[in-house]
Amino acid sequence: MADTATVKEVKKSSLTFGKKEKALITDPLNDTNPITVQVLGICSALAVTTGVKNSLVMAVAVVFVCLFANTITSLLRKRIPKQVRMIVQLVIIATLVTVVELTLKAINFESYRQLSVFIGLIITNCIVMGRLEAFAMGNDPYRSALDGLGNGIGYGLILIAVAIPRELLGKGSLMDFKIIGNTSEFLVNTTEVSWLGWYANNNLMVLVPSAMIVIGILIWIHRAWNPKLVDVS
Amino acid sequence: MGELLNIFIKSAFIENLALSYFLGMCSFLAVSKTVKTAFGLGLAVIFVLGITMPINWLINSVLLAEDGLFGTDLTFLRFILFIAVIASMVQLVEMVIEKFSPSLYNSLGIFLPLITVNCAILGGSLFMVSKEYNFSESVAFGLGGGFGWFLAIIAIAAIREKIRYSAVPAPLRGLGMAFIITGLMGMAFMGLMGIDPAAVG
Amino acid sequence: MHSTKYIYTFVFIMTALVALLLASMYTGLKPIHDKNEALYNKRAILSAVSDQLGKDIKSMSDADVQAVFDSQITQIAVDSRGNEVSSAQMAEECEGAVKPEEIDMSKEKKKDDSEKILPVYVFENGDEKYYIISVIGNGLWDEIWGNVALKSDMSTIAGIDFDHAAETPGLGAEIKDNKGWKKQYIGKSFYDATGNYTSVVAMKGGVKDPSYQIDGLTGATITANGVNDMMASGYKLYESFLKKQKKS
Repeated sequence: MADTATVKEVKKSSLTFGKKEKALITDPLNDTNPITVQVLGICSALAVTTGVKNSLVMAVAVVFVCLFANTITSLLRKRIPKQVRMIVQLVIIATLVTVVELTLKAINFESYRQLSVFIGLIITNCIVMGRLEAFAMGNDPYRSALDGLGNGIGYGLILIAVAIPRELLGKGSLMDFKIIGNTSEFLVNTTEVSWLGWYANNNLMVLVPSAMIVIGILIWIHRAWNPKLVDVS
Repeated sequence: MGELLNIFIKSAFIENLALSYFLGMCSFLAVSKTVKTAFGLGLAVIFVLGITMPINWLINSVLLAEDGLFGTDLTFLRFILFIAVIASMVQLVEMVIEKFSPSLYNSLGIFLPLITVNCAILGGSLFMVSKEYNFSESVAFGLGGGFGWFLAIIAIAAIREKIRYSAVPAPLRGLGMAFIITGLMGMAFMGLMGIDPAAVG
Repeated sequence: MHSTKYIYTFVFIMTALVALLLASMYTGLKPIHDKNEALYNKRAILSAVSDQLGKDIKSMSDADVQAVFDSQITQIAVDSRGNEVSSAQMAEECEGAVKPEEIDMSKEKKKDDSEKILPVYVFENGDEKYYIISVIGNGLWDEIWGNVALKSDMSTIAGIDFDHAAETPGLGAEIKDNKGWKKQYIGKSFYDATGNYTSVVAMKGGVKDPSYQIDGLTGATITANGVNDMMASGYKLYESFLKKQKKS
């Protein structure tokens, strides 16, 4: 079937785990990172990174959606009619996202309340869609699954890397566990003072614009450390 | 009418989809290298938001609501239907423009497919549901939101065109700087937070 | 090229499968969702009396929350004239709510004051009796709501808990997150020394009368004003009921 947008099968299906397969997982962690290199899926990265806990939940959700969307699309890649390709991909993603939403609502209601709209926005998270179009439509299910896993994890890592400075400097805690500074300016008793008690929480870090700046700085660090990514234009 | 104007101004400036909610950031950052391309994408966003918002409103209140056509609560199908509407509207708009205005199609054409995955569109529809707007309000919200997004992407593109001549550290050049500029613009927009256009005008 | 017929069949089968999967998942998980939502609500109500319970509500298990709720809380529905509302009337006017805790406050918010039906939770802890009332209002972006526990004089706050739909994290969201700020409410009265209704007010720029004023939240003026309005109008709705209770 020449019309199924098949790029070219990399190799005939074999379930080996060699160098190429390893690269499928490790590349998105560094050289082709979804956020800092491909600039995909920024929106949800900004809103949920106020706390490490929310970021973890979001990261797991994205890994799940990426993994299964890639696998399912790859399984169906020869049957999907080209004319309705985009809509079919979106339906697959939207279904998985709804599954995640319903499951989260059942197992962790509190996170569900906090993440509400942003779970839905995974649908338009361009990494998922981008990987389906660029990889899963042209590769076998096993490799597509690895690719989805790699990209999901690469995305999740950056989420957590952004969330750590934001929660630590903004709320003085990590995973809701108090680390530095006072609990608040309305101190009730001295037992609530932790390490570096003089530190006053910087509320600016919790606000969304600061997430943009934190990501900007992460990109700076990433590129200084991996100079081949530097934008020469 | 005044109420609709309020919603328009509020969604364009105070609750700006790009700089207050940070929606549609992927294309916002990717397509804002020059003002010309930013202009094309911005127009396309106004177009699609203005069209999909009322359609999604109808879908939500006629098909999905508990007192709607089917008489049961079908809101768990909301994501799928909204995104399907957006995807098909984008395709439809693309075909219509291609047919009637080839020159507009040439300048807009390549940006249209990008819009399907622009979360400002889906986000806008979801906000519309949570704000419980009525039909005409949702039109005003769609157009205002699109207009605000348009202004924001033009503004950042203009800044990026100028900053190219500045001595930015090499690893920060391009993308890194774009993120930081957007962050600063967002902070500036926070100054508008909480203004009630009804009280001002 | 796939034939048009193939495309239609493909889309049809896919739609059917997806709809089936989601519908069965939705119906299958609905009881758990409802239970979670009810427990979330119960935790919010108990949060207003967490000092009296001497426990951190967050660390309590679901079963504990349910047990405390069952053994120490009596719930009643009242109207704004101070009369108790029968469960039949409540079910009719509040979309089939069986217990007062099922009243949807954001729906009540939209009704006229005279038609509102509001929940009251009476919390008994040993000899002490507290009345927990539910309030709702608007913050900067969206709705804010809360539960206020009153001492047996029906006007002094014994504990409080707020929540919000979409306030700005770090600014307006502090009404929920900032425990120290919320603690200021404890011991404040809705009336001043001469018995005039003052509500409890978060003041920008310093407290003048500590009997009913508390410090405002930096950078969250509009949310704080929303809280003030919510407290003032929310208590007012319960005022006649609370007065009757005080007499009896």
